[in-house]
Amino acid sequence: MSPVLSEERNRLLCQTGPGTPMGELLRRYWHPIAGAAEFDERTVKPVRVMGEDLTLYRDRNGTFGLVDRHCPHRRADMSYGFVEDTGLRCNYHGWLFDHTGRCLHQPFEETAHPEGRFRDKVRITSYPVAEKAGLLWAYLGPDPAPLLPDWDRFHARGYKQIAISYVPCNWFQGQENSIDPVHFEWLHDNWSRELRGESGYRAPAHRRLGFDEFDYGFVYRRVREDTTEDHELWTTGRVCLWPNCLYTGHFEWRVPIDDENMLSVGWFIDELPGDAPYEQDRIPCWYAPVVDERTGRWIDSHVMNQDYIAWVGQDPIADRTKEHLGESDRGVIMLRKRMLGELDVVAAGRDPLGVIRDPAVNRRIHLPIIPRPAAPDGPPPFPFLAGQPEEIKKELEEAWRACAGPAGDPTRM
Amino acid sequence: MAGGTARWADARSDYEAADAAGFGLAPDDLRHWRPFYPIEIAWARKHGLPLAAARRWAAGGVRVHDAVRARALGLTPADVRRWTDAGFLPADAVEANEAGVSLEQAVAWREAGFVFPDAALLIHDGWTLEAAAAAR
Repeated sequence: MSPVLSEERNRLLCQTGPGTPMGELLRRYWHPIAGAAEFDERTVKPVRVMGEDLTLYRDRNGTFGLVDRHCPHRRADMSYGFVEDTGLRCNYHGWLFDHTGRCLHQPFEETAHPEGRFRDKVRITSYPVAEKAGLLWAYLGPDPAPLLPDWDRFHARGYKQIAISYVPCNWFQGQENSIDPVHFEWLHDNWSRELRGESGYRAPAHRRLGFDEFDYGFVYRRVREDTTEDHELWTTGRVCLWPNCLYTGHFEWRVPIDDENMLSVGWFIDELPGDAPYEQDRIPCWYAPVVDERTGRWIDSHVMNQDYIAWVGQDPIADRTKEHLGESDRGVIMLRKRMLGELDVVAAGRDPLGVIRDPAVNRRIHLPIIPRPAAPDGPPPFPFLAGQPEEIKKELEEAWRACAGPAGDPTRM
Repeated sequence: MAGGTARWADARSDYEAADAAGFGLAPDDLRHWRPFYPIEIAWARKHGLPLAAARRWAAGGVRVHDAVRARALGLTPADVRRWTDAGFLPADAVEANEAGVSLEQAVAWREAGFVFPDAALLIHDGWTLEAAAAAR
C-alpha cells in the first residue's frame, strides 16, 4: 500500500464489471446509453456498458430491447441481427428473442421437433430499457428496478440536444471532476486564455469552497475574489449528481463502457426567448469527436473537451496511490469516502443513495440550478463540445427566431 | 423583490426562490430561517435540526450540514471550536470524531503535508504518519 489512496481502494472505485463492488453499486441505477434519435435511422446498435457487450435495438412495434451481444445458440453477434414486429432475430440460424429475453422462435428446431418447445428452455440475457428526455436508459441491476429519475430540468422550456463522446479513461476520473470547483479557474478559464494567446490573464481566484450533501448527491459552492457569499455560485452552487453525473443546468453523465473507457453523455438545453409555448418533437443526438484529425492531439477548444484532456491525461486508470491531495480536493475526498461507504450499503443488501422507488417522489425532482437566461441576440456558439453539426445549429437558430418573433404564436418545431 | 411574486419577497434572488420552491419550502420558511439557504433549511428539517440550534451552530461558524453530523456524534459547538481555533474546518472536527482522530494527531498529519479529510481516511485504514510520509 502507499498513500494517498491504496491500490485496493483505487480498484474498488474504478472497476465496474459484473460482480465487482462498484459494478454492483452502479447497477442499482439507470444509465443513459444512447440517444433515442439514433434509432430514427437504425434499428440495431452494439453497445458496451460496464464491461458487458450488449445489443441495443428497437423492433418494428417500437419496443426497445437490450440483450446480450451473443446469441445463446452458437454465440453469433446479435448486433448483426434484424428486428421483427416483436424482437430481434439472430442472422445466423434465425432464433428470435424479445426484449425480456424470451426466445420466441427457433425455425429449424420447431420444424424438427414441433412439440419439443426447446425455445422455452433458452433465454438471452436482457436488461430493461426506458426512453426519457430523448435518451435511452438501461438498468443492469437486480429486480425490482428503481424508478428512472424524473428530473425537473427535463421538462424545462428550451431547445434540447444530446451530445455523446467516447472518452478513453475510467469513469471515476470524470466523476471526480464533477466535484472539483477549482479546475474551472485553471482548466477552463486561464488555460483557454493561454490557448487564445492571451498570456498574462488570470481568472478570478477561488477564495473559499463549500460542499453540502443532499438527497441526490452534493452541492458545491465557491467564493471567488470577484464574488461574495451573496453570489449564486455560493447561495445556489452546482450539483455533483449521484452517482455519475454533473449537473449545472445541463447534465453530463459518465457511463462506464469498461474500466478504461467511458461514454460521456451530455444533455443540453438552450433557453429560448419569450414565453410562448414551445415544444420540440425530437431531441437530436450527435457524437462529438475528441481527437483533432489535423494534429492527432485531443481537441482543446471547448469546455468538455478540456475536461477530457485532464481525465485522459491521468491515464486510462489514474494511479491514485501517487497523488498528493490538497485543500482544493476536499470535494474529491468527500466523494470517494461516500462512494466507498455506499459499496458497503449495497453489500448489506440495502438501496444506496439516490435510488428512487416512490412514484410520489419521482415527479419533476428539483435540482439546484443557476439558470442561464436566453441570449438576447440569438443563441451563442455551443461552448461545451467541438463538432456540433450544422443542422443542429440551424435548428436552434430557427427555434430561437420563432420564439423571439411575435408573441403568442405557439411554436412547434 | 425576487421570485416573480410577492409570495417570495424574502428570497434573495430568483434563483433562491426557485430553489426554495423546488425543495418544498414555503415563503415563510425563508423568512423564519434567514439567512440559511434553501438546501440548508431542507436538510435541517429532514434531520431534525431545530432553527434555534441551527442558529447556535451557525454563530460558531458551523453550517447546517456539519451541525447535523456534529449533533449526531454528540459534539457541542465548543468541541468544534477547538478545531476551528486550530485552523481546521468544522467538517474536519466531525471527520476526526468519526475516525477517532485527536486534534494533536490531526495537527501532526497536517504539518506533514496531509490535508485533513484525507489524513482521516488514511488513519482509518491503519496508516501511521511515519509510514504514510515515507510511502509518499
